Amino acid sequence: MIGLLKGMATTMKHALDGKTFTVEYPDVAPEVSPRFRGVHKFSQERCIWCRQCENVCPNDTIQIVQDDQRNGEQYNLHIGQCIYCRLCEEVCPVDAILLTQNFEFTADTKDDFVYNKEQLKNVPWYKGIDPLNSRNPDRNAWVGEGDGEIDYQ
Amino acid sequence: MPVPLQATGTATPTGTAANGTAGAAPPSAPLADAISGLLGGGLLGDVVGALLGAFLIANLMLIMTAVAGPWAKRKITAAFTDRIAVNRIGPFGLLIIVADAVRLLSKELVIPDGADRPAFDIAPIVLPFSALLGFAVIPMGNGIHLADPETGLVFAFAASSIASLGLIMAGYASNNKYSLLGGLRSIAQNLAYEIPLVITAASVVIFTGTLQMSGIVAQQTETLINVGGIRIPQWFAFVNPFAFVLFLAANMAEIGRNPFDIPEAPTEIVAGYQTEYGSVYFVLFYLGEFIHIFLGGAIMATLFLGGPAGPILPGFLWFIIKIWAFFLFTQWARSAIPRVRIDQLIEIGWKGMLVLSFANLVLTAIIVGVIA
Amino acid sequence: MAETTGTRPSAATAADDPTRELLDIVPDDAVTGTDDHLNAPALVVRADRVQATLSALRDAGLDHCACVTAQAYDDRYESIYHLRDYDDPTREASVVVPVPTDDPTSESAAPVFRTADWHEREAYDLVGIEYDDHPNLRRILLPETWQGHPLGPDFDGEEPQIVPFREHANPLADDRRGADTMFLNVGPHHPSTHGVLHLKVSLDGEQVAAVEPDIGYIHRCEEQMCQQGTYRHQIMPYPDRWDYISAGILNEWAYARAAEDLADLEVPEYAQVIRTMSAELCRIASHMLAVGTFALDVYGDFTAIFMYAVRDREKVQNILEDLTGQRLMFNYLRLGGVVWDLPEPREEFFEKIRDFLDDLPESLEEYHDLITSNEILQSRTVGTGVLPPEVAKSYGATGPVARGSGIDYDLRRDDPYGYYDELDWDVITDDGCDNFSRLFVRLREVEESAKIIEQCVDILEDWPEDERTIQSNVPRTLKPEADKEIYRAVEAAKGELGIYIRSDGTDKPGRFKIRSPCFSNLQTLPEMSEGEYVPDMIASLGSLDIVLGEVDR
Repeated sequence: MIGLLKGMATTMKHALDGKTFTVEYPDVAPEVSPRFRGVHKFSQERCIWCRQCENVCPNDTIQIVQDDQRNGEQYNLHIGQCIYCRLCEEVCPVDAILLTQNFEFTADTKDDFVYNKEQLKNVPWYKGIDPLNSRNPDRNAWVGEGDGEIDYQ
Repeated sequence: MPVPLQATGTATPTGTAANGTAGAAPPSAPLADAISGLLGGGLLGDVVGALLGAFLIANLMLIMTAVAGPWAKRKITAAFTDRIAVNRIGPFGLLIIVADAVRLLSKELVIPDGADRPAFDIAPIVLPFSALLGFAVIPMGNGIHLADPETGLVFAFAASSIASLGLIMAGYASNNKYSLLGGLRSIAQNLAYEIPLVITAASVVIFTGTLQMSGIVAQQTETLINVGGIRIPQWFAFVNPFAFVLFLAANMAEIGRNPFDIPEAPTEIVAGYQTEYGSVYFVLFYLGEFIHIFLGGAIMATLFLGGPAGPILPGFLWFIIKIWAFFLFTQWARSAIPRVRIDQLIEIGWKGMLVLSFANLVLTAIIVGVIA
Repeated sequence: MAETTGTRPSAATAADDPTRELLDIVPDDAVTGTDDHLNAPALVVRADRVQATLSALRDAGLDHCACVTAQAYDDRYESIYHLRDYDDPTREASVVVPVPTDDPTSESAAPVFRTADWHEREAYDLVGIEYDDHPNLRRILLPETWQGHPLGPDFDGEEPQIVPFREHANPLADDRRGADTMFLNVGPHHPSTHGVLHLKVSLDGEQVAAVEPDIGYIHRCEEQMCQQGTYRHQIMPYPDRWDYISAGILNEWAYARAAEDLADLEVPEYAQVIRTMSAELCRIASHMLAVGTFALDVYGDFTAIFMYAVRDREKVQNILEDLTGQRLMFNYLRLGGVVWDLPEPREEFFEKIRDFLDDLPESLEEYHDLITSNEILQSRTVGTGVLPPEVAKSYGATGPVARGSGIDYDLRRDDPYGYYDELDWDVITDDGCDNFSRLFVRLREVEESAKIIEQCVDILEDWPEDERTIQSNVPRTLKPEADKEIYRAVEAAKGELGIYIRSDGTDKPGRFKIRSPCFSNLQTLPEMSEGEYVPDMIASLGSLDIVLGEVDR
């Protein structure tokens, strides 16, 4: 009997202390950490069309179309198919594609989720936070500061 | 203290109340008579009065159920789980009741193939109907009391037991193994706990000597003891707390609430007897369950908590407070107490509670014999 | 790749001591050659002497059949039985059974190890090897009407699957297993099968006469997808999705450990500490959910315990979001280390973790008040879902399921990796063998994880600033040598999560086999629930804590 009463006392305590763990979402914005991986933002000025992002994407979400002089014509990214693993940002040598913290995006059909370079350029920063600052420590990893043979391909 | 009953004791709502001695009143129908009086009396007035009285009481209970189901239950559960619940639509989120009603009623009524049609359709009506029928004899204070037969308590228990029939009909007629399991479990549970329930209520009747609900309430207005100027009335919960706890447990089992909510154990048999019901039928089951909770609370309030009695506020408000307190208690139990297994439940019912309730009866008889 | 020499190697050749030891144990006529996998000595065994070999090895102490890998080469099929010792997991042996392509039949190991039952069914289903003597050789992950074997040599994925109507059994047909039993389908849509699990239950009144789990509803071809991704980058997002209940880093670590040992990569110590800390945070989150859903199954739908458990999980996920950027699919480990360092400012991050750890004892006290000291719960769970330790070992049960039956098996301590052997923590076991002890083991393991995290935080705080290397030098394109095979396991939240990789000289694995702990644990369900009541079966299923994403992969 005592165990039952202890359990009931615990829940009643929670009821009476009036604190809630949830927030009223649209009015109160949830806390999003600076490293959160949200929708991508693409910068055509920086992109050098090396196609590393397309190469590394685990499920072929990025599609790049170049003409025969290797000028970049299209950069399409299906943000509905993307798994937000951030490998494209990681391998990009020039920070042309980044993942912002923006998680609020909607569309009417799944095909509307294929963003071309214009749409990717216009993705807003979430509350004006620049994500690169929070991920700076990453840069040393691929620049490579160490001994041993390095095989770049 | 047994008191002689009236010679012409029939439970028909006719005539005005005769001058009865203290503690016993002839069968009467206060509410119906009041309305009939407004309309001018006579047979037509009586009939219309009775119908209008029934209409008012049923509406009152349905309003309370409507507030309790979609709104209060969510608010209470959210309080226990540190969340914010319905608060967007309407003041305090009360218009969720309208939204939920529209949503539930606009769903498609799906009848499963092979369902036993008349039983399948009648079952959802039986459940709330039986509870509303029970409310006819509950004294709610301030003259709101539809009928007051001499055997009011027995009538209340009999009416609420009709619900078992509805559950077994729903379980069997759905042509679904989960519903069958749920229906069988519920009938086993109801049978097991009906006897302790009635025996415990009988121990109260030993005190009061009358089955009439108003008589039971009247008995409890007398003073038990005077504690420093505060008058403690003779509520049977204070007089015999053991019976109170027993009745509470048996009541929770009768209405199918934690820890005895096996008939509709959602995590084991999906939704038990309710599995195949949608739209209107589901609404009837859902509301019916809540009306049964309130009926259980009303019977408990009448038997053990003095009915519509309490300081300062009018009796009717106290009655509402008491049945809502019982509702809150069931929600509290729901958030913290696990569910017993069906064989453990039957064991507790037949071995534990039966013995305890008979012991309680004997004890009460001894106490009454000693005091008298 | 094994050398299928016709003669046994003589003592004059340089056989290793472990191999020599194995050769002494097994019957002489069974072995046709030896091989060297990176994790264990391997014996190549004849297809009709499998049972003799395995029983000899089991009686010599290798009583844990961790995994059965099946793969197809150009000229043959191979089944590999990875054996370990429950008392010392570093003592391993692999038994390789090659069979020719035109007659892929070998003797089944099911009579020797009960866990081989489902593993061999999966090998038959996906690769196409047939096993004699198997009690029940049917497809397990794919539907019964599937044509072809996807991981076999000539499977054409483009060809349509044509299933004539008569092929497919009527799912609504009356199926009686006994005179007085009623057949009931629990799931795949059911509130308390933790995922899409279909249990075929025969009921005798309220008692369970027989239960047979039917899995494969969420088979996502994870092994095949990993075989199509590069080691260096593309495979790493996938392990998060095996056990998707917040144990992402533990899964990633299984892959990282296997691939790093295959390609012989170093991991800096700083990265090991961070890996350990984040893995233990994931373990807490996973156990919280296990406890919460168990409470849901036993307490009913409106229980507050589930909400409290999810609330504690949210706190862990907030910390992991600050560290990795995501709340569930972390993609945080890389081969050679982790992807980035702790977030700046470091003091704030440490304070968040310390605040969480300070609140944890109070929350655990609440759980003990609500769950373990509740009499009704004790009467529901003590003595139900009993799994004796010998049976558990035969089924290859690991993790809290095994530790709840008294088997003292924890890979973090016995086969150490990461920073675990430098920290001070205990392995929790309980001799109860019932649902209650499994629940209790999980709650106590949360405390142990908290201890580990606290020590890691202290170590990280004092780490000198210029020695914080988070990744070692790993080539951009990683191409391990051809024909190297390895099986490595970590202690994931549900048990031993092992990965077998065979490299074929390219930058993608040749064979990638996942040994999922929930797959082996789920097989114990019939053992636990036959003879008990339906509610006990549901409670046992909850206490096994399976995640269908990991069972079906």
